[in-house]
Amino acid sequence: MKKNIFIAILASLAFAWSCDKIESNNGFYDEFAGVYVENEEGTPVADKSQRAFLEKYTGVRCVNCPTADEAIAAQMAAYGDRLVAISIHDSGAFTRPFDGNPDFRTDDGNTLSVFYGVAAGGSYPTSIINRSLVGSTPELIDPTQGANISAKVDAILAQTPKVAIEVASSTSNGTTKITTNIEFLQDVDNELTLTLLIIEDNITATQMMPDGTKDNNYVHGHVLRDVITDVWGTVIDSDRRAGTCNKTSVRYTVSPAWVNANCKIVAFISNAATREVLNVAECHLH
Amino acid sequence: MKTRFLLLTLALSVLTITANAQSVLGGGQVSGNIQIDGQISRADSVIGSSDVPSKLLSNARADILYTNGAFSAGLRFEAYQKPMLGFAPEYEGQGIANYFASYQGERLSITAGNYYEQFGNGLILRTYEDRYLGLDNSLFGFNVAYRPVTGVTLKGVLGKQRFYWEKGAGLVRGIDGEVSLNDVIKAMAESKTRITLGAGFVSKYEDNNVTIISRVDDVEGVQYKLALPANVAAGSVRMDLSHGGWGLQAEYARKSQDPNKMNQYIYKPGEALFLSGSYSQKGFSANIQAKRVDNMGFRSERNPNDKTGQMLYINYVPAITKQHTYAFLSMYPYATQTTGEMGFQGDVMLKLKKETLLGGKYGTDIHINSAVITGLDTTITGGMGTNGYEASYCALGDLYYGDVSVEIARKLSKQSKLTCTYGYVVFNPITEGHAGHLHHNNVVVADYTYKINKKNVIRFEAEWMGSDSQYDKNVDDKRAGDWIMGLVEYNFTSAFFVSLSDQYAYNDGVGNYPSINLGYTKGATRLQVGYGKQREGIVCIGGVCRQVPASNGLTFSLTTSF
Repeated sequence: MKKNIFIAILASLAFAWSCDKIESNNGFYDEFAGVYVENEEGTPVADKSQRAFLEKYTGVRCVNCPTADEAIAAQMAAYGDRLVAISIHDSGAFTRPFDGNPDFRTDDGNTLSVFYGVAAGGSYPTSIINRSLVGSTPELIDPTQGANISAKVDAILAQTPKVAIEVASSTSNGTTKITTNIEFLQDVDNELTLTLLIIEDNITATQMMPDGTKDNNYVHGHVLRDVITDVWGTVIDSDRRAGTCNKTSVRYTVSPAWVNANCKIVAFISNAATREVLNVAECHLH
Repeated sequence: MKTRFLLLTLALSVLTITANAQSVLGGGQVSGNIQIDGQISRADSVIGSSDVPSKLLSNARADILYTNGAFSAGLRFEAYQKPMLGFAPEYEGQGIANYFASYQGERLSITAGNYYEQFGNGLILRTYEDRYLGLDNSLFGFNVAYRPVTGVTLKGVLGKQRFYWEKGAGLVRGIDGEVSLNDVIKAMAESKTRITLGAGFVSKYEDNNVTIISRVDDVEGVQYKLALPANVAAGSVRMDLSHGGWGLQAEYARKSQDPNKMNQYIYKPGEALFLSGSYSQKGFSANIQAKRVDNMGFRSERNPNDKTGQMLYINYVPAITKQHTYAFLSMYPYATQTTGEMGFQGDVMLKLKKETLLGGKYGTDIHINSAVITGLDTTITGGMGTNGYEASYCALGDLYYGDVSVEIARKLSKQSKLTCTYGYVVFNPITEGHAGHLHHNNVVVADYTYKINKKNVIRFEAEWMGSDSQYDKNVDDKRAGDWIMGLVEYNFTSAFFVSLSDQYAYNDGVGNYPSINLGYTKGATRLQVGYGKQREGIVCIGGVCRQVPASNGLTFSLTTSF
């Protein structure tokens, strides 16, 4: 009797575990609308320059933010494509949109703001360049002072790059294919992530000015629209030895609310553990 | 972690009491073995070896087992600082890699921790470890065996597999039953015909909430993701029959839809058939084997981050090619293709009687072996996200591997013995993932041993291999070409040995590989030190292979047991 019970238990367990049968629908797959990162062997990157990545935390109700915009614009003119900047509108009090104006706030921007203590600190504008840390504390920089920015950017550009990155995009029938090429220029011990995001320039919307007035025709630049990958990026699935090249393809649907001609794709490589940025590139949305 | 610490503390406490197997804790015994292998290698552009930045590489392990009646507990400490050439860099580190506690009762056996288990021939489940392959796919969890009556064994397994220093993501569950009819049916108890029947079932669970894009329709701007099964099952039935000197063994296994990286995410069910027949009598034995394997790679992760391609296998497809021991015959070993292959092997051993015309004064042993492995005859019907292909059940596909070897060993006098071997090997480089033509190799080996006296023995070995393969810089396979080899080995005082050898590619190949080895054995302890060049190649054990890069320098190995 005892043995029969034992056998019955084992047999029922076998049926319970069993297997999942997938029925074919002209193939064993389903339509997918999300973001998918596809890795394959890449080719050497043409421009192996070190670049710097500036993230400015700003808001349409922040009176000092236009000063930061001017300072950053001047630095971008000076450094050319070696400085990539984005504007993040988090969910703080300074970012609530004016009536009839577009909402620049994003969940991703808010996640970043909370992580770097911007929302809690309440000091706008502020910025972080290459997500640098002092010890384990984010190195937030006042972006209204051009000298603050250039000092940090100079230090970053003086470094020998560990990875090079280039990004390109092409759109067909509403789907944008974003391709990045990553080349390891040195052996890298830490796991790295690739983050892709989309920004938009030339958006006219109301902005509080330093004199306390509202400028209804203020032109906002490099506004973060969406982090295409996970907000902290996707792990780069390749060897990390010098000479290794990795190509990544992502398919993405750009929101019709954005003007494609004003959009850019930003791609950057981060240390997966510390989230510090190793290199960055951007391209126009095509 | 706490558990590991407690087990380690227990083991070390016991070891402190005694270094030899002695009675402790009321009749318990401690035994174990230790192995430390090391390597120093430097660059040699001709053979393709590189400098080792850390200078010294070492693999070390200590197995410690405590037994007390039906109870046993053990652990294995492993240290890879850094892993030797050819072993996965993921092994770097040290710690307790394996630990368990086990009760082996008359009816019931239970093991908790790391364990090794096999159902039948392993077609649906075999966990094992091989230190020379750098392979350990042990299950970590529970293993239960129950014997309700004599001749009936039921087994259950549950756990996750070891993956270097981590565990694989997949959960493995399995049950197996085996019945010896001669033990269960009284009328068959005395029968010369012995029959054992068995059946097993294994299921793995892995989260299917992952996105794998199978198809992109750029025209419509639509992408499709694979619908992945979270549970994949495999089952098998088997039979073992013997009658006098005759034996027949058969096992058939099937696996449900299992899209994974190895099969390029196709949904065709897997299947495998293994047949083995044998006959033996005094002075003669013969064995024939056949197998057909179709999409039967079964791993506990769909796409493990494993460059060796050997980790996290739940099952094992038996190899049916001979495990050659001579250097040139084993230069192109065959790696089992779990995605699809058919194979046949015949093996005959014959002992010619002494004092006969053919057998000579002291008798002669003849061993003939031949194996042929081919791919399946397939028709591609689709790619990723489809059934992939259709395969004819009986038709043969491309030749993967073939060999025939004849070994004749004869004692020439009371002091001397000569073994001559001829082998012919055909090898398809596609089985190692390379394109290229078939390689055809002829190998001749002469192995002569002379016993000077009770404590001194000298052995000579000469090998030649003629091959139609030629060294090609683009492929960089340094096994190509025609080779000769010589070896002299001298064993003296029963404890020491020294051997000198050289392998040289004299035509259409590259490389000259001289080496010297010294060894000392005392009791259960053995120390071996070697210096020289090692050709890059592939080491296969039971059809499972490891790539070994070229090396140039010192190797040493210390083993002991207690």
